[in-house]
Amino acid sequence: MTGRVIVITSGKGGVGKTTTSANIGTALAKDGYKVVLIDTDLGLRNLDLLLGLENRIVYTIVDVIEERCKLKQALVKDKKNPNLSLLAAAQTRDKSAVTAEQLKEICDTLKEENDFVLVDCPAGIEQGFQNAVAGASEAIVVTTPEMSAIRDADRIIGLLESKEEIKSYKLLLNRVRPSLIKSNEMMSVDDVVEILSCPLIGIIPEDTGIITSTNKGEPIVNDENALAGKAYRNVAQRILGEEVPFLDLDEPKGFMAKIKNAFAKLKAKV
Amino acid sequence: MGILTDIYNTVAKFFRPQEEQNDASKSVATNRLKLVLMQDRTNLTPKILEQMRGELIDLLSRYVEMDKELLELNFEQEGDQVALMLSIPVIRAKDEEEIEAACAKLNEENAEESSETVCEEAEGAENTEEDADVTEEVSETEEMSVSEEETAEKKTKKKSRKVSNPEGMNETERPEEPQDVVFDNSEA
Repeated sequence: MTGRVIVITSGKGGVGKTTTSANIGTALAKDGYKVVLIDTDLGLRNLDLLLGLENRIVYTIVDVIEERCKLKQALVKDKKNPNLSLLAAAQTRDKSAVTAEQLKEICDTLKEENDFVLVDCPAGIEQGFQNAVAGASEAIVVTTPEMSAIRDADRIIGLLESKEEIKSYKLLLNRVRPSLIKSNEMMSVDDVVEILSCPLIGIIPEDTGIITSTNKGEPIVNDENALAGKAYRNVAQRILGEEVPFLDLDEPKGFMAKIKNAFAKLKAKV
Repeated sequence: MGILTDIYNTVAKFFRPQEEQNDASKSVATNRLKLVLMQDRTNLTPKILEQMRGELIDLLSRYVEMDKELLELNFEQEGDQVALMLSIPVIRAKDEEEIEAACAKLNEENAEESSETVCEEAEGAENTEEDADVTEEVSETEEMSVSEEETAEKKTKKKSRKVSNPEGMNETERPEEPQDVVFDNSEA
C-alpha cells in the first residue's frame, strides 16, 4: 500500500493549520482510513493538544531520527480511533534538529502502511517549511480572508509551484464570517479564490465551537452539530475524490432572523 | 442642522440594502492586496510602476487625448497568466496632423538625445503643447500653425471637449500638476 502524503501549510501563523490537520485527520480516520499525523513544528508543538494526546507522548520525531526509538514506538494512537496516530514534534529542540531528507524518509516509511500521512507544517518559509514539504506530494494551503494571510498564502503557493514533488495544491479558506462578507466588510470566497487563482478544497466558517473543542482536546469533526465540523468532514470527502457542494453559509433568512440581525448590527455600531 | 442630517443619514442607511453599506473596507482590501501581490510576484516596485505609467502616458498622448488622472494601470490574474491592464479614458482621438506633429517632436527629441538637459526641455515643451487645449489662446495658435483650413472644425470640437470636461478648465495651472508628478518619476 502506498498512501498519500499531504502537507498542511499556510505561511502565516495562527490561521488554523494545526486545527485543520487534526480535523481532517480525524475525519479521514472516522471514514475507516489509516492516518498518521506528523507535527513538524519543532519547539512549538500543539497538534498533541488539539487531539488530547499531550499526556501520552513518550517519544518524538527527533527521538526517531536520532535512533533512540523505532518509528512505530513513537506513534501515539488516538484515544477514540485506532486508525489515527500521531508522530509528535520535539518540544525542546528547534527546526535544525531535522533535515528535509530525514523527514522525507519518515514520510516514505509511513506511507507504506497508511492511507494518509498528514504533515502539519510550521509557520514561515524557512527550514521548517522546507522540511515539512520534503516528503509530500500534495499540499493544502490554509488561509483566512485577511490581507496578511492571503499575501503569505500567495508566497507559499509560489514556493509550492517551484517544487517538483508537489503534484497538486489546494486552498482551504478558514474562519469565514458570512455576515461580514454580506456587509462587504470581509473579502468573499470568490475574491480570495480569484486573487490566489488556486482551486478550493474547503470553506470553514468561523465557529466558537473550535475554542471549546480545543479546550477539551477533541477535534470539532466529532461534534455532529457543529457547522465547522461538517465543513471539515466535507473537506475529507473531497480529499477522497468525492464531489461535495460547498456549505451554504448564509444566515437564516426568516423575518425574525432579519430583525435580529438588524438589531445586532445596530448594537455593534453603538 | 447637523443633528437633522445625522438622523436622516442613520434612517436612510437602515433602509438601504446591505450591499451598499461599508463597501469601502472590502474593496479597499481587495485592491491593496492585488497591488501588493502583483509587486510580490513580479518584483516591480511602485517606483518602477510609476515610471512605466509616466512613459505610457507620454507615448499614448501622441495619439489620443486622455484624462491622465483617471488612467489606470493594473495587473490582472487570469488563470496562470498575469495580464497588464491599461484603462485609458479617451477624451478624443487626435487627427493625423496632430499625430504627425507629435511624432515630429519625438524625432527632434531623438536627435537631441545626446544631451540630457536639452532632451528634457523638449519633453517639457511637448507636454505643454499636448495640454494646450487648457488655455484656449495657446491651443488655437498652435492649431492654426498645424493647418489653417481646419481651424473652424477644431473650434467646435474644442467646445464639446470643454463641455465634456467637468473640471474647471479655465484654471490654467491646474492640469500642470499631474504632469509634474509624472515627470518627477520618469526622471528618477
